[in-house]
Amino acid sequence: MNLFKIIYSGKDQYLELAEKMVQKAIDEKGRDAEVKFPSTAYSLPVIYAITGEKIATVGDLEKAIVLAKEFIHEGRLLQDALDSGTASAMLAEIIEAVKYTLDAEPYKAPLQGHLTDAQIRAFGVPLVTQDIPGVAVIIGECKDAETAAGIIKDYQAKGLLTFMVGKVIDQAIEQGVKMGIDLRVIPLGYEIESVIHVVSVAIRASLIFGAVEPGNFEAHKKYTKDRVKAFVNVFDNWDDKIIAAGAAAIELGFPAVTETFINEVPTLLLHQPDNSKVVETSLEVRNIKIKITNIDIPVGISSAFEGERIRKNDMYAEFGGGRTKAWELVRMKEMSEIEDNKIELIGPDIDTADKIPYNMPFAVIVDVAGRSMEEDFEPVLERRLHYFMNYIEGVMHIGQRNIAWIRIGKESYEKGLRLADIGKVIYAKMKSDFDKVVDKCQVTIYTDPAMVEQLEKEIALPKYATRDLRLASLIDENVDTFYTCTLCQSFAPAHVCIVTPERLGLCGAVSWLDAKATKELDPTGACQPIAKTGVEDEEKGIWTEISNAVATASQGAVERVSLYSILEDPMTSCGCFECICGIMPEANGVVIVNREFGTVTPVGMTFGELASMTGGGVQTPGFMGHGRHFIASKKFMSAEGGIGRIVWMPKELKDDVRDRLNATAKELYNIDNFVDMICDETIAVESEAVLEFLEAKGHPALSLDPIM
Amino acid sequence: MSHEVLEFDVSSNVLLEKAKKDGAETIWDRQIAMKAKCGFGDKGLCCRICAMGPCRISPVEGKGAQRGLCGATADTIAARNFARMVAAGTAAHSDHARDIAHVMHMANKDGNYKVKDVGKLMKLAAEWKLDTEGKDTDEIAHELAEKALMEFGKPFGVQNFLTRAPKQRQQIWKDLKIEPRAIDREVVSLMHSTHIGCASDAESIFEMSMRTSLADGWGGSMIGTEFSDIMFGTPTARGTEANLGVIEENMVNILLHGHDPSFSEMVVLAAEVPELIQLAKEVGADGINLVGMCCTGNEVTMRHGVKIAGNFYQQEMAILTGALEAVMVDVQCIFPALARLSDCYHTKFISTSPKAKITGSTYIEFNEEHALETCTQIIREAIMNFKNRDSSKVLIPQIKSKAIVGYSVETVIQHLDKVVNSQTDVFNTVKPLSDVIWAGVIRGAAGVVGCNNPQVKHDKSHITLIKELIKNDVIVVATGCAAQAAAKAGLMTMEAKELCGRGLKEVCERVGIPPVLHMGSCVDISRILDLVSRVAIERGLDNSNLPVVGVAPEWMSEKAVAIGTYVISSGIDTFLGITPQITGSEMFTNLLTDKIEEKVGAKFFFEEDPIICAQKIMDRIEEKRDRLGI
Repeated sequence: MNLFKIIYSGKDQYLELAEKMVQKAIDEKGRDAEVKFPSTAYSLPVIYAITGEKIATVGDLEKAIVLAKEFIHEGRLLQDALDSGTASAMLAEIIEAVKYTLDAEPYKAPLQGHLTDAQIRAFGVPLVTQDIPGVAVIIGECKDAETAAGIIKDYQAKGLLTFMVGKVIDQAIEQGVKMGIDLRVIPLGYEIESVIHVVSVAIRASLIFGAVEPGNFEAHKKYTKDRVKAFVNVFDNWDDKIIAAGAAAIELGFPAVTETFINEVPTLLLHQPDNSKVVETSLEVRNIKIKITNIDIPVGISSAFEGERIRKNDMYAEFGGGRTKAWELVRMKEMSEIEDNKIELIGPDIDTADKIPYNMPFAVIVDVAGRSMEEDFEPVLERRLHYFMNYIEGVMHIGQRNIAWIRIGKESYEKGLRLADIGKVIYAKMKSDFDKVVDKCQVTIYTDPAMVEQLEKEIALPKYATRDLRLASLIDENVDTFYTCTLCQSFAPAHVCIVTPERLGLCGAVSWLDAKATKELDPTGACQPIAKTGVEDEEKGIWTEISNAVATASQGAVERVSLYSILEDPMTSCGCFECICGIMPEANGVVIVNREFGTVTPVGMTFGELASMTGGGVQTPGFMGHGRHFIASKKFMSAEGGIGRIVWMPKELKDDVRDRLNATAKELYNIDNFVDMICDETIAVESEAVLEFLEAKGHPALSLDPIM
Repeated sequence: MSHEVLEFDVSSNVLLEKAKKDGAETIWDRQIAMKAKCGFGDKGLCCRICAMGPCRISPVEGKGAQRGLCGATADTIAARNFARMVAAGTAAHSDHARDIAHVMHMANKDGNYKVKDVGKLMKLAAEWKLDTEGKDTDEIAHELAEKALMEFGKPFGVQNFLTRAPKQRQQIWKDLKIEPRAIDREVVSLMHSTHIGCASDAESIFEMSMRTSLADGWGGSMIGTEFSDIMFGTPTARGTEANLGVIEENMVNILLHGHDPSFSEMVVLAAEVPELIQLAKEVGADGINLVGMCCTGNEVTMRHGVKIAGNFYQQEMAILTGALEAVMVDVQCIFPALARLSDCYHTKFISTSPKAKITGSTYIEFNEEHALETCTQIIREAIMNFKNRDSSKVLIPQIKSKAIVGYSVETVIQHLDKVVNSQTDVFNTVKPLSDVIWAGVIRGAAGVVGCNNPQVKHDKSHITLIKELIKNDVIVVATGCAAQAAAKAGLMTMEAKELCGRGLKEVCERVGIPPVLHMGSCVDISRILDLVSRVAIERGLDNSNLPVVGVAPEWMSEKAVAIGTYVISSGIDTFLGITPQITGSEMFTNLLTDKIEEKVGAKFFFEEDPIICAQKIMDRIEEKRDRLGI
């Protein structure tokens, strides 16, 4: 077996097909026709990253083939073979680009094909927190559907992101595997070329989070090898094209495991004929460690189920959602007051249903105690309840506190899931995720209507009120310590967040209290305290110590930071931010766009295009990534006049932040219903029309000092 | 004189200038004095094995004498001369091994010599089917040593270690009747056969040479390696430094030169005695700095990380620094010139072996019974000599490189284990190595070994060739002075992966090794035989099927001739950068470089240009790969 000859033969097949497809595109659409994948600022991402060349038209595709050919030289050394792998990837991308040129929707549900930039950015946080511990790419067809489903579900249960190419997709469908981006099981397409869409995900992670320069292929390879924990599984007989694609994967640092014999290359190319060992083999070869919490309940528990939705028809029981009361509370107790691992249900269980869906009141009180526990950590732990419950297969959790809304699916009920199981999961996750602060934990679930009502009044509401008071007093001026957060450095090595009480991490996931708790949980970890000393400019938010800490934590990449300005040394971002704001000079303000918003904004760019201007730990004055929550903060670009500068937001975002933003505007400027002064896409997107609207509303930005 | 021969070595030029000033003579001065080489000797056509001659055969056919007085032809004479070099080389390695076996026979948990690697002792005891039931370590060591000593003179049977070779190879040896019997017997027998009026058939003489050489590779050398590991520890990866810059101005510098670890190990031990260190401080030094040279340097660097002052050609350079308090030598490769050279400085030149008394040296006999005592005495002499150092005559070139050394077969396998997936493979095998060769990630492997030789530019052939090979994804293992050349050139560092092709670089990164692995001294070429055989056995093949080669770019000694011969007899092609003294016989040259392949599946290649040699090696590797269809 001559491995290199196999790769060269596979590459030849891609080349032949790519040339044929490009000719077809020229014949049907002409050389000037536009070529692009939906909603990406990096088109075509793989070729762009490798060569630095953007491919925009059918005519450019001919150039792209020439670029790919530059990697073709059939020598006897490994680099020759890997270069043919790279050429194959570029050619596959050309083939896929032609599909999107000839057909607006070449992949129909459930097939995914191309993933948008926003979809990739959404993976950012779970990737850095290792909620997604790895990425599996399954190619081919398993010997039977049960085996396929078993392997996929195993990856799903471990939280991995799984992409499928080939007939394995049908096998997964046949077995009723829950799939979709939210469930981390993504069927790409049936043809091997569609595998390029996951390569594109890895490469764009390098462009987006790593801020790696397009054209610096060596740096991209290093990024993907070191930071994207992907691997490939090939089932059934491989062919030359699959192996050529495998060479591309190996070049990016992704090992492959094949079911059919192949000459092995330790740590890169493995032969595993035993299907029952393929998962363990793959995790080991990519050095993926799964945090195991063995919890004995009848359904699966995995971060991959976090995005699972329970629709009305699939619903067995429902708590909250306006029909019944539902609330949750974590409270700190003395060690002596808690009986560890006591899980109690007070009231009827869900198997007492008289009708389906079964609407019940619900309350859960999680009592925790520990030598290092602090009352400030209560809300941090409590917010995790949302995730813990969502991790349970067939359980959906929305909201928090006394606006919690929980659904349990029929399938999971039939598998035997009961309320005590939810208690078990909460107990186990509290103990494993917060082992440094939680020594003892006890969970009590109430479904008794009178108890739920009474305890809400007596315990929950007063506790929420106390916390709100504490949070209200938690303003930047009142603390002498901020925190660094470098959680994202596994993906964006130069980025560091400074977390203050009024400015949570850009991802929206780390508040000042979270950072404080994280420091307690992992004293040398991602969140480190910084003394707020050496004030240089309080208005812009510049402190010498803070800048020094950023310089250290970013390994010198960023030396100075203004916390409250987006024009002067703004804080950097990783790439997984929820929103990005950018200056609209003619309106003397800024537009904010959230990543779910797909079309163009008044500054002439989409979210993806705006986002590509920043991220990866690079300071770009005038652009800033941030969380949704930050929008209503008094510190939001306060150096430039604050929230009064916001002139445009998508409607959905406006509605989401409306109440809090109105309250802040009232407090800062004594303006009522400020949000109504902000333009959105239902009103206008064109610059002139936006200005007309702002003038008509008397928007405060127009009367502020010139922003630039 | 101009020293263009040294263009590859910036440190030596300075020292040679200094030599001129100090009135010291070096090998290059003598080379000039020697003028042209003897044309007959160079072609292997001078016969002086009896007193009827010396006879010399005309190198031009049909012109001048075509036969010696006894009628011996050029073929016979060249083959006999070659054979006697093989016998001498085998004798040298094996006599070294015998000493180690004797030391093991003295092993005593309370004595100077203790068994260091009990695990390896037990493994070898099992391999040699020694009954160990109810015996303590020392007893087992003594019995195993006795068995080893029997390998030198046992009246019946063949060498014990032959079974380590692939079955196919063992069959070839059996069929050719070249399975080596007792080591001494093979040496004696070959000396007998090449006596006046004995064997005259060149092919037969070469077959006997192969058998004798195999008694070296799979006998003496392998015993030397394995028993040294048991007594002094199996080498593990460790850092060191190499080149004359390791000699330190403010230390008592002691150079260890020679071959036998039973001596050098004791010196290392003695140099750590606190009273001696204290004494060194009392005479005004910061401490004792032991540095190694040649194969003794390799032995102590492999096991202790002792720094390497240099290789064979640098033995005079080290003394020229004027900073050596003592040069301690035992056996092999020691210039007799060192005595005269030391007289130019305060350096004490101390010979220690009754096998190698050197005119003009201070002789302090080392005997194993009083090992530590003797070594302590010698070191004390060195320390006391510190005050005699003339600082105006000190010049230490500040040149040295870092290196990682210590790659025994065990250590190589331990590193390979790092890339084993526990779900698909088992640990403790060479399969990962065979896999990367089969996949083409690395194209093959080369063992680069041997000496220095003033016929070529020093170290240049070694380094040029090694760099060419690693650039083309051929992994290199090295021993002897070749290994030291690589260490000095920085090729034994992790950073050297940047000089490799992508495949070898990937292997270096993933396995965590440099691209050039230091496997030890010249007897340790037995480690290379072992490693190659393991890969062949892993694949169910013979050594000759594998894309691996041996190379001796700058060889000079008779030991190297024995080595080259046992390497090809083991099925591994051998490339010589110095043409051996046989070219006066077309028939014998043709036998070694072509015909012999039919018998043993491997042959010699003579190529003095390192770049062309590297190309030939790679062509041969690709030829073997094509035959395997990989």
